[in-house]
Amino acid sequence: MSKLTTGSFSIEDLESVQITINNVIGAAKEAADEKAKDLGPLGPTTWPGLATYRDDWNFKLLARYEPVITPMCDQCCYCTYGPCDLSNNKRGACGIDMLGHNGREFFLRVITGTACHAAHGRHLLDHLIEVFGEDLPLKLGQSDVLTPNITITTGQRPMTLGEIKPAMEYTEEQLTQLLATVHAGQEAAEIDYDSKALFSGSLDHVGMEISDIVQIAALDFPKADPEAPLIEMGVGTIDKEKPFLCVIGHNVGGVTYMMDYMEEHDLTNKMELGGLCCTAIDLTRYKEADRRAPYTKVIGSMSQELKIIRTGLPDVIVVDEQCVRGDIVPEAQKLGIPVIASNAKIMYGLPNRDAQDVDATIEELKSGAIPGAVILDYDKLGEIAVRLTQVMHPIREAAGFRKIASDEQMKEWVDKCADCGSCYLVCPEELEIPEAMKHAKKGDYSYLEDLHDQCIGCRRCEQVCKKEIPILSVIEKAAQKIIAEEKGLIRAGRGQVSDAEIRAEGLNLVMGTTPGIIAIIGCPNYGDGAKSVYYIAEEFLKRNFIVVGTGCGAMDMGMYKDENGQTLYERFPGGFQSGGLVNIGSCVSNAHITGAAQKVAGIFGGRTMGGNLAEIADYVLNRVGACGLAWGAFSQKAASIGTGCNIYGIPAVLGPHSSKYRRALIAKNYDDEKWKVYDARNGEEMNIPPAPEFLLITAETWQEAIPMMAKACIRPSDNSMGRSIKLTHWMELHEKYIGGMPDDWWKFIRTEADLPLAKRADLMKKLEGEYGWEIDWKRKKIISGPKIKFDVSAQPTNLKRLCKGA
Amino acid sequence: MVDTTKNTKLFTSYGVTTSKAINPDMAAKMISKAKRPLLVVGTGVLRPEILDRAVKIAKKANLPIAATGSSLHGFLDKDVNAKYINVHQLGFYLTDPAWPGLDGKGNYDTIIVLEFKKYYINQVLSGTKNFSKVKSISIGKDYVQNATMSFGTISREEHFVALDELIDLL
Ligand code: SF4
Ligand code: SF4
Ligand code: SF4
Repeated sequence: MSKLTTGSFSIEDLESVQITINNVIGAAKEAADEKAKDLGPLGPTTWPGLATYRDDWNFKLLARYEPVITPMCDQCCYCTYGPCDLSNNKRGACGIDMLGHNGREFFLRVITGTACHAAHGRHLLDHLIEVFGEDLPLKLGQSDVLTPNITITTGQRPMTLGEIKPAMEYTEEQLTQLLATVHAGQEAAEIDYDSKALFSGSLDHVGMEISDIVQIAALDFPKADPEAPLIEMGVGTIDKEKPFLCVIGHNVGGVTYMMDYMEEHDLTNKMELGGLCCTAIDLTRYKEADRRAPYTKVIGSMSQELKIIRTGLPDVIVVDEQCVRGDIVPEAQKLGIPVIASNAKIMYGLPNRDAQDVDATIEELKSGAIPGAVILDYDKLGEIAVRLTQVMHPIREAAGFRKIASDEQMKEWVDKCADCGSCYLVCPEELEIPEAMKHAKKGDYSYLEDLHDQCIGCRRCEQVCKKEIPILSVIEKAAQKIIAEEKGLIRAGRGQVSDAEIRAEGLNLVMGTTPGIIAIIGCPNYGDGAKSVYYIAEEFLKRNFIVVGTGCGAMDMGMYKDENGQTLYERFPGGFQSGGLVNIGSCVSNAHITGAAQKVAGIFGGRTMGGNLAEIADYVLNRVGACGLAWGAFSQKAASIGTGCNIYGIPAVLGPHSSKYRRALIAKNYDDEKWKVYDARNGEEMNIPPAPEFLLITAETWQEAIPMMAKACIRPSDNSMGRSIKLTHWMELHEKYIGGMPDDWWKFIRTEADLPLAKRADLMKKLEGEYGWEIDWKRKKIISGPKIKFDVSAQPTNLKRLCKGA
Repeated sequence: MVDTTKNTKLFTSYGVTTSKAINPDMAAKMISKAKRPLLVVGTGVLRPEILDRAVKIAKKANLPIAATGSSLHGFLDKDVNAKYINVHQLGFYLTDPAWPGLDGKGNYDTIIVLEFKKYYINQVLSGTKNFSKVKSISIGKDYVQNATMSFGTISREEHFVALDELIDLL
């Protein structure tokens, strides 16, 4: 049985019978495994299941980085035994306790995000195989390690679209197994949910990797290209005179057909095609290898969805999947904008018009007989979306839908405000709307204008306003001048980091001369406006960190200009290099961020990649100074992306709203027992500094986040030069943004060479005076004091099995 | 005395338990009774009118300050015992009886929280509420459901008055 593989064969003597076997369960995996044998040694964990990483890695991580549970609610309303009151860690009717339930709740977030990316990957893979065939080679840029996440997880090194299928099937199988654990109270142990969440996070990066590599290979996206072009972004870049086709979501499949139609009909200069969220980033990457002039535009992140609709500018909206609001149809309907749903994951209850003739559908939508339609046939979608946009433009212009509210209307709205305070109470950003309304009544709109940048466009305020004031529109009207000026630049997503870049930068990263990698990702739900992301990126870039971005984080970094009118993407190079600002791509490109760290371990550290997650992650945790920032982490996908970084030993700082994910991973920096590893050379225990001191945590302000991230780049195996450089940045940033010296700086000192150069003598005095360390002042040497020994050739590891003689 | 207990409308429902709404006199009593109190302030404390009052509270009741977020700057020259810590980290450490505290002398029995976004402090306190015995008293201008006791939602002006009364009573 096991000799059967995919393909076809005929049975002798039964000449007219042919049995076609398209897939034998396990056969593809078996064949792939056969092939992988030729590709070098594999680690112990190919094709992992729910328990595979548990004891050898996840529990080790979770022993130091303890799950911190902050319930959203003290009840469980999951089943029909309940609702149960779980407060004070009581157990519910099914036997699960508060900890277990909240572990399950967080895990559910992670698995939801994982499913989004995996399903996206499956959709693209099937579609692209149908169009381009299974043999299309995976050309992704200058790399031997094309698929680090797939390779680590499965041991496979797919070289064509078809060879990705086993990894895809495997991810889907594990997702089903994982989801089943949520049922009733069965898996009651919080710690096991956390282990499962970590596993799900690792799968998420496989799903993302699949999504991005298939589109890079088949759709001619930039391939590890530091010179990927600059793309216009922001609402202010939309030419109001032209018909505007607005796409929202995160799956570029359908949009490529619109672009092809526009190009074939010479329409790229005659209309605007722009989008929100990751589809927007990906359409700027389409056929980029041909280097045609970029004409599509990135408008912004999810927080702009309602705002852009309220401008009345879009003539047609096409949605695909993932970060898309549920109220697009009713909101668009008010302004005469037809909505086309192009993906079976979001159909909005709209009628399906796949079977109908194109002209008839355009006519139907134009007449307003239906508010929108489902069109899953991409050929039809490409034509209808583009033609309908041109048809709708003059109609909507004539009907006045493209004009924003008049000054009189604005005054009427503002005057209605009864100062009841309800909007303030429900606003997730706690914006002081009533206060701003008071000033507006007196004719001063500047307070309302100030709210624009902080408002995430969620519309909760409007839902509670008894005076039915369209508060969001009031804010946007007040900010119309600023909005018209919202013009920035973003680099089209460049794809993965090449092996050549890793080889050039790996040593600097491991040595610490490049102080760290800062990954700015995540969707918008910012505590203090999108500008915070810009400030954070700028501070780290000026200090020669490598800043990588994806998705909405990458967009927001490009929205602001310095005093010379330049955006960060213009000021800093696009390569994976010290002081480089690298836009990797859309959300699914996040797999290339973990991929870069994995490649440092694989290429630079010489670690076996295939089937070897624990060893790779152990290397990253101990040696690669990388830290993520998901400042407005909001979606379930952000939870899975972050958790995938965590299992690979990459910590992440999240914005304050992310406390609502219910869980963080924080180490006890005061417990010396937590800060020991083995020296792989002899298996002896060695003390390490409390670094990094968290894997997942929230910060209250962007000012607080900066020193936290700089500190999280300190790693146990830094050499002295690296430690000294990293401490210099952290201490300077702490002084600047928090104030004074950090209390625990001395814990990171092993020898005098670790001390920041500029302050060496001063700090030695402090070590002597305040901490009682012995200093030989003649030789300027530390004689005694440090708890941690410095040994340049020590090989810190959390895995006893990697030690000599183990 | 300003009635700080009247508006306890919730931002959104966080389940069945809610904090006890209190007036400044009760807050003063609880602070005075605490054996190991800690004043925990968020970045909102940097508004001058609040900063001034926070310093007075700390001095009068002899409270050490956990200056979270980016609030430490405000206290550096104020002759108070303020140390920086991230509030999420603090919330977790409070649930560990073995935490040596900010001064090495052990964990706290009561925290007094001031000037956070309500959603953020509510989340952090949901951990201490369910998994520790630490009492929390919110003296900010918004009702915080997951504190043990809290002022209700009051206006900024009322809040200033309430804090002044609290200072007088300490
Ligand atoms: S799943 Fe358990 S805790 Fe939740 S409602 Fe049902 S019985 Fe209660
Ligand atoms: S739309 Fe803006 S102002 Fe209204 S509740 Fe949401 S964030 Fe607050
Ligand atoms: S809810 Fe409406 S009426 Fe009440 S304060 Fe807000 S804007 Fe004014």
